[in-house]
Amino acid sequence: MSAGAVLPVGVLPGSTRRVQSRNSGLGALQGLALALVLSMLPLLQAQAADVLRLFNWNNYISQDTLDRFEGVCHCRVLQDYYSDNEEMLAKLAAGATGYDIIVPTGNAVETLIRQEALRPLDRKQLPHFGNLNPDFLKAFFDPGNRYSVPYAYTITLLGYNQTRLDALGLPHDTWALLFEPRYLEKLKGRVTVLDSPRELMAAALRYLGYSANDRDETHWARARDLIIRAKPYWASFSNSSYIKELTLGNIWLAHGYSNDMFVAAQDAQKAGRAFKVGFSTPKEGAVLALDSMVLHKSGPRPDLALRFIDFMLDGHNSAELTNLIGSGNPNAAAMQYITPDIANNRAIFPDSDGVRRLEMLRDLDRLQRRVLNRMWVEIKLR
Amino acid sequence: MRDFQTSGGLLRALHPATLTRWLVSGPPTAFMLLFFLAPSLIMVLASFRFPGAFGGLAPLIGAGRAGEDTGLTLENYQFFFSDWLYAEIFVKSLVVALVSTLTCLVMAYPLALLIARSPKRHRDLMVLLVILPFASNFLIRVYALMILLGPQQALASAVNGLLALFGVAPVNLLFSTFAVIVGMVYVHLPFMVLPLYTNLEKHDPSLLDAAQDLGANGWQRFWRVTFPLSLPGIFSGSALVFIPVLGMFAIPDLLGGTRDILIGNLIKDQFLGTRDWPFGSMLSIMLTLVVLGLAGFAARLGRRDRNEET
Amino acid sequence: MRRSPLLWAVALAVYAFLYIPLVVVVLYSFNDSRLNAEWVGFTLHWYRVLLNDGEMLEAGANSLLIAFVSATFATLLGTMSGIAMHRFKLRALPLLVITPVAMPEILLGVSLLIFFVQVLNFTLGLFSVLIAHITFCVGFVAIVVRARLAGMDESIFEASRDLGASPWQTFRLITFPLILPGVIAGALMAFTLSIDDFVITFFTAGVGVHTLPLQIYSMIKIAVTPEVNAVSTLLMTLTLGMIIVASRFAPDALKGAA
Repeated sequence: MSAGAVLPVGVLPGSTRRVQSRNSGLGALQGLALALVLSMLPLLQAQAADVLRLFNWNNYISQDTLDRFEGVCHCRVLQDYYSDNEEMLAKLAAGATGYDIIVPTGNAVETLIRQEALRPLDRKQLPHFGNLNPDFLKAFFDPGNRYSVPYAYTITLLGYNQTRLDALGLPHDTWALLFEPRYLEKLKGRVTVLDSPRELMAAALRYLGYSANDRDETHWARARDLIIRAKPYWASFSNSSYIKELTLGNIWLAHGYSNDMFVAAQDAQKAGRAFKVGFSTPKEGAVLALDSMVLHKSGPRPDLALRFIDFMLDGHNSAELTNLIGSGNPNAAAMQYITPDIANNRAIFPDSDGVRRLEMLRDLDRLQRRVLNRMWVEIKLR
Repeated sequence: MRDFQTSGGLLRALHPATLTRWLVSGPPTAFMLLFFLAPSLIMVLASFRFPGAFGGLAPLIGAGRAGEDTGLTLENYQFFFSDWLYAEIFVKSLVVALVSTLTCLVMAYPLALLIARSPKRHRDLMVLLVILPFASNFLIRVYALMILLGPQQALASAVNGLLALFGVAPVNLLFSTFAVIVGMVYVHLPFMVLPLYTNLEKHDPSLLDAAQDLGANGWQRFWRVTFPLSLPGIFSGSALVFIPVLGMFAIPDLLGGTRDILIGNLIKDQFLGTRDWPFGSMLSIMLTLVVLGLAGFAARLGRRDRNEET
Repeated sequence: MRRSPLLWAVALAVYAFLYIPLVVVVLYSFNDSRLNAEWVGFTLHWYRVLLNDGEMLEAGANSLLIAFVSATFATLLGTMSGIAMHRFKLRALPLLVITPVAMPEILLGVSLLIFFVQVLNFTLGLFSVLIAHITFCVGFVAIVVRARLAGMDESIFEASRDLGASPWQTFRLITFPLILPGVIAGALMAFTLSIDDFVITFFTAGVGVHTLPLQIYSMIKIAVTPEVNAVSTLLMTLTLGMIIVASRFAPDALKGAA
């Protein structure tokens, strides 16, 4: 018995009816469509000129910088966006090609290198490489920087409505806020966490005193239980809307990225809100995400890509991103251009003590991924 | 089409009726075999295989990379059946689909009835008004609900004001199972109204007159005459709502809270999140089986219903 | 119960349920605030943003192109299927053509994703989206065309044969003109389904090609500004305008061609 069997009963009258009542409007629409398609053909052809394709995080480059680069290279920069490394890798696994540059986080760089998906860099084409702070050049995922050039970094931390938290007498700098019912009681329905298994587990693992890269399944299970216990107090899983919700005052505590929190704090200030949005790195430690520019093998224009990378290594251009979104900056030459209140913010540029408590995530193998995925389903369902 | 006639010398060898049959049914059959049946079978195959070393699927043809297993396995199914967790998601999705379908029915029935009993010249306009929101993309309609259910809006204030009167703590309308169901209903409502209306419109009003003459009151006339006659419309409308709701992932994604994960989200995550294609394929096969089972059930109900009528 | 006030009340409530959210979308497209939550003041700013948004315009052009091409092919294949299903007693074809219509969309999207990437080794993009759209639209066209044929009197075709017309002549002179309204209706349906599709496109587009629904989804998901409201308002106005124009010039069409 096929599913088709249900259809003749009802789809038929229903769907013909639907067509009949709309068709004339759409007849005209079809004519117009043709005209529009024809008129837009030149626009589509414009793509055939020099184009650099960038696969980047959303809002991760300043429009001014882009405009200047387009002017210098006489080319167009086209961007596609992702909001999660897993999503980016999944899209590449699903056959996405044609990207000259991708800006993945360390663990995803590691995966891409192991996949042999990246093109080695021609260091001769990157005269500004020396601008980089040497501290960021010995990362686990690409020790000799054969493939990757550090772009910017963020810390996964807590953003909060400072006015509310102070009024409630709550601390700012501990994951306990996110996981301990005694704090959460006062925040019920006002908390969001990242919709990312790795990030949320990392926060829970750090809070429990384990490494964010702990592979012990019993530790994972403890982290899962901690999350499930706290979940009833949370409003939603959110990877980006927390920026807006913090600004509006709907959400008082959000687990998210330092650069997003910076934007939320700025927006709240600009909108003249009666409260202040703040953010700080929990004392138990957190995840540091170092995003690097890499050349994807499928990209047709490595020449333009290298020019772009060198352009971004310029201190002034690199600082522009930091000033716009409040991301950490691995470029020593950029520091002089960065506004002091960002440069002095320890939740954006941690001091050496803070750096010791930060960890970069490592990639999981397929069995670990499946176990984590199952735990994630459990977390979502309970 | 001149070729058709001039090349007749060659084609006369075939019986013309057979030839026409092949010419007409051949191209669509070939297309659907290639782009519907073949992918479906590949998906069945994929559900018995291992993921690739870096996610996705181990290559179907030829040797994989080092450490990649290209054999067949029941591992994916074992993982599914190893405990109740995944079955629970299916049950949950079925419940959400059922509630959404019933809500649609309760809302659509009076409307369809009213349209069917309105003067002929008004009916087209009334139907058009049901369809018109369909002219906007479903994501736009979901987005509209996101605004409307947001905590700043009058609706949330009104509901929470009312709850406060009874001493109940304020609730979030958005990002909740409630929002997911409202979204499902909002997006699928016309699918319920239209088949119901097409069915109700065909009813012979003299039946109701007869019932009235026999002394049936308004409610009895509805329950004994109109409702049984409209069952085929109810079944088809329900199928048109239930099945799409079952596979939906965008609505829980955008409107759901911390508990709202449905089969669709789970499948989507396997392909665009955790890169576990074999497990995703297995889940898709399970969903297919559920839908086929339901369709068979609905068809049987419909047939029994028709037999009773005759 | 016939047309009682209760019936009217429920019906009006349902109409309100259908329209109030859309009105809110339109209203907020003129709101002078990035945040889409409370009314601040009137502005046309978001429409200017929209008209300068190259990606959005490109996505619109892609959507139209895809809808146009896939509707054309789906209509051709769907009409053939509809005729074949009506004329010949076929087992396989109805199953092949109609099952995709009845299944949740995600299943078709996912299976085509595996097929394109793993078997055909395709780069996902315009072409894979076109194939996917044709695949799920064929069934709708076939259903409409078959319904049209089913409602016809067989004796016309017999008369045509008796008068010595070849099968081709019968088709060209009798069958085709009769089913034309069904074919047109099917084509329009395919066009609408294609231009509106999100789920199947989501899986088969990779990242190479943007369509309007994909663009709207990522805006809602990642960065909501009232630009989304502006694009929604424009799209709704366009469709509404079409329907009004059509009802002016071809009122019969609105009542249904069949």
